[in-house]
Amino acid sequence: MNVVRQFGNGVFSMSGREWSLLVACLLAIVIFSVASPHYATSGNAATVLRNSVELLLIGLGMTLLLAMGGIDVSIGIVMGLAAIAIGRVLGAGGNPLLALIAGPLVGAVLGCVTAAVVVLGRVPAIVGTLGLLGVYRTAVFVLLGGQWLSGLPSSLTDLLATSVLGVPVPALVIAAAYLAVWLALRRTPYGLHLLAIGNSEEKARLSGIPVIKIRFMTFAISGVLTGIAATFYVATYRNVEMTIGSTLALDAIAAVILGGTSILGGRCSLIGTVLGVLLLRILQNGLLLIGVPSLWQPVVTGVLIIGVLGFEAVCNRLPLGRFQRARA
Amino acid sequence: MTEPFLVARNIAKRFGALTALANVDLEIRSGEVLALLGDNGAGKSTFIKILAGAHPPSGGELVIEGNPVAFHSPKDAAASGIATIFQELALSENLSIAENVFLGRELKRSILGIPFLKRKEMRQRVDGLLKELDAHISDPEAPVGSLSGGQRQAVAICRALNLNARLVIMDEPTAALAVAETRKVLALTRRLAARGCAVVLISHNISEVFEVADRIVVFRRGRKVAERLAADTDHEEVVSLITGAHPDVRALEKTN
Ligand SMILES: Nc1ncnc2c1ncn2[C@@H]1O[C@H](COP(=O)(O)OP(=O)(O)OP(=O)(O)O)[C@@H](O)[C@H]1O
Ligand SMILES: [Mg+2]
Repeated sequence: MNVVRQFGNGVFSMSGREWSLLVACLLAIVIFSVASPHYATSGNAATVLRNSVELLLIGLGMTLLLAMGGIDVSIGIVMGLAAIAIGRVLGAGGNPLLALIAGPLVGAVLGCVTAAVVVLGRVPAIVGTLGLLGVYRTAVFVLLGGQWLSGLPSSLTDLLATSVLGVPVPALVIAAAYLAVWLALRRTPYGLHLLAIGNSEEKARLSGIPVIKIRFMTFAISGVLTGIAATFYVATYRNVEMTIGSTLALDAIAAVILGGTSILGGRCSLIGTVLGVLLLRILQNGLLLIGVPSLWQPVVTGVLIIGVLGFEAVCNRLPLGRFQRARA
Repeated sequence: MTEPFLVARNIAKRFGALTALANVDLEIRSGEVLALLGDNGAGKSTFIKILAGAHPPSGGELVIEGNPVAFHSPKDAAASGIATIFQELALSENLSIAENVFLGRELKRSILGIPFLKRKEMRQRVDGLLKELDAHISDPEAPVGSLSGGQRQAVAICRALNLNARLVIMDEPTAALAVAETRKVLALTRRLAARGCAVVLISHNISEVFEVADRIVVFRRGRKVAERLAADTDHEEVVSLITGAHPDVRALEKTN
């Protein structure tokens, strides 16, 4: 049984799990700095943070989904479709403000499509989103017509690659998204309902919780966050390639589980997700710099997922592990 | 006699080919403890789930104080003043006691149109309820998953009390309890009735039933086979009604 206090959690309050992640991040940084002369540079630090933007936004949504006992394996391709929409708006010389709303809008619509299939259609989330993954992948191929969208105008980039009072816009947006998700989760009835559904859908229903509405909303929220991620993606790279987002869902699920959110639902940590994303990106970047081909990145992610879940399963069988968990 | 709080007429429930309930007529009165008895699988839980809005009935109607009602969810039943303590308790182990007591009907204040939880008020209210119940739970912020069976039962009862319910339904509330806790729950059912609440109690413990019930209804194979005032019957007769050995039940089952 997962016995974790939900009340009184601060915006950044950390338990043993989160502290170990922080230590793991620092440890990885030290090791890579020793192993590669190119590692410990401010340019590389900026690259790691830059590479984390989309995954942080998508990870927040995935945290809500997993906490609710849901999942979305199509989320990377959803970002791809939103990116194509943004790219089309920009490519047609559209107003960058229009491009700004295109991402969240497409994300919201696709989130509602996923919700319609999984929640209204009562298809298990893993199966429903796997089916959608296939459909969306083909949609990306058809929409791109086998060609990259590239050389997009820089109007969106000019808008988002700026700073407000010295803070980069992506950092501001991520902070705002984090705060909004944290408030929803810990300070509103929605958060309680989501965690109750993650614990047991039937018990939540018997308690008078509008289960269908809450589940639907959560897929939609995840879609909007993914659409915002797509906006930053297009602003940064100014192109949309055929393979866009193909490893994002795997990365997001890995980061969220690494952060201490239960794959079975009912328990989650937002700060854990942030640290999980950073650790994942630090490892991927560091391995690349010490000469491990990028082909190996999904292997690292996969091994992390299996490792964490295996470790938790073993801990749960040990009385000591259970004790530590209860105090977390 | 006053008008009953709730009247169930001709209630039926089918799960696919299985008929769990058929032709159930029942009146539930305020200020009265009504005991529902019957063998395992007799349909008691199914019946109260219909009263609680957790199952739609396949037939029949529910009338509350003269008005026909149709519950589409447990929330609707709660809005009509019906609080149910389910056999499986329906508590969320990962949430705190206070959160569980208010789950689904939280106290909230609206800021910019967003409903925020009033956590302090909820905790204080739960503190008071736990004291009133004499539940020996010191911290309403403790997760329900860390509580004993009796303490969980107390939390479920708090939930019902907190609703200010007109009808409280308890499905085998004492099945998992020790002697002292059982006494407490039984005293509480009487106290609820004294307050003017209608109480429906499901139990397999017949002596317990005679201690608190005003009326006894027996279910058998999805039908109501008998209704007695507790004062007009005894342990032995009730047993024979449950097992079907009673001549009335035999006669009834022959005609069907
Ligand atoms: N959700 C369901 N789906 C299918 N059949 C069900 C469902 N709920 C109950 N039943 C069936 O309906 C019948 C009545 O069950 P119910 O739970 O109402 O019995 P009960 O009188 O509460 O028994 P107990 O004393 O064991 O709690 C049983 O045959 C049971 O298997
Ligand atoms: Mg039952």
